[in-house]
Amino acid sequence: MFSWIIEMILSGLPEWFWPAVAVSGVMIYLFAKLIGNFPTFKPYTFFIKPIGVLITIFGVFMFGGAGVTAIYQAQVDEMKAKIAKAEEESKTANTNLQTKIVTKTKVIHDRQVVIQDRIVKDAAIIDSECKLDPLAVKDLNSAAKNPLKVAK
Amino acid sequence: MKKILTLLFVIGLTGCSSMLAPMPKQSWPDTPPDLKIACDDLALLNEDTTKLSEALKVITANYSQYYTCKDKVDNWLEWYNTQQKIYNSVK
Repeated sequence: MFSWIIEMILSGLPEWFWPAVAVSGVMIYLFAKLIGNFPTFKPYTFFIKPIGVLITIFGVFMFGGAGVTAIYQAQVDEMKAKIAKAEEESKTANTNLQTKIVTKTKVIHDRQVVIQDRIVKDAAIIDSECKLDPLAVKDLNSAAKNPLKVAK
Repeated sequence: MKKILTLLFVIGLTGCSSMLAPMPKQSWPDTPPDLKIACDDLALLNEDTTKLSEALKVITANYSQYYTCKDKVDNWLEWYNTQQKIYNSVK
């Protein structure tokens, strides 16, 4: 939360802000050096000079960070756009596949219904000359059982 | 003066590396719900039956079961290949 607030504040600053801070630090330092020539102000320069240096360092630090962050942010945005596009494509592909699955399942099911109806219709003819031996049933069931489950 | 400039340069570079946000990551997509359903076992004949027509009903149901399951495997392959292609396109 804290870093997010900092990021929001930093991203709202204009590009020239941090160089300006660094330059103002240099100017403070030079000003301190200038007034150091006057004996009355000399004691104050001991405080003002370090402040100027610190402001310059801070300004340069933030300028370096902000510059690279801007480049990096552009890469992040580009990546986000690519990911969003890929996710959209992926979603479309999934929808298309789901539709295809439903259609193919229906075709397989309908085909089975037709054949089952045909068997019911022809049952009298099929059963007229053939009686199924229990051994045949047993063998067929053995073949239909999953060997991996049977082995357990 | 040179020392100060070097120091400022180093500090500037440190600023570069310490303010980077993490790169967004791409997530692997979810599968269509129908692919998550496992294939059923094959149907068995009623052991008391002596009618060939009854056996045929079960056999044809099993054929249908096979094609449903085969289709599921084919769909898994298609899903994986398509999604992998999309996933790899993001670089």
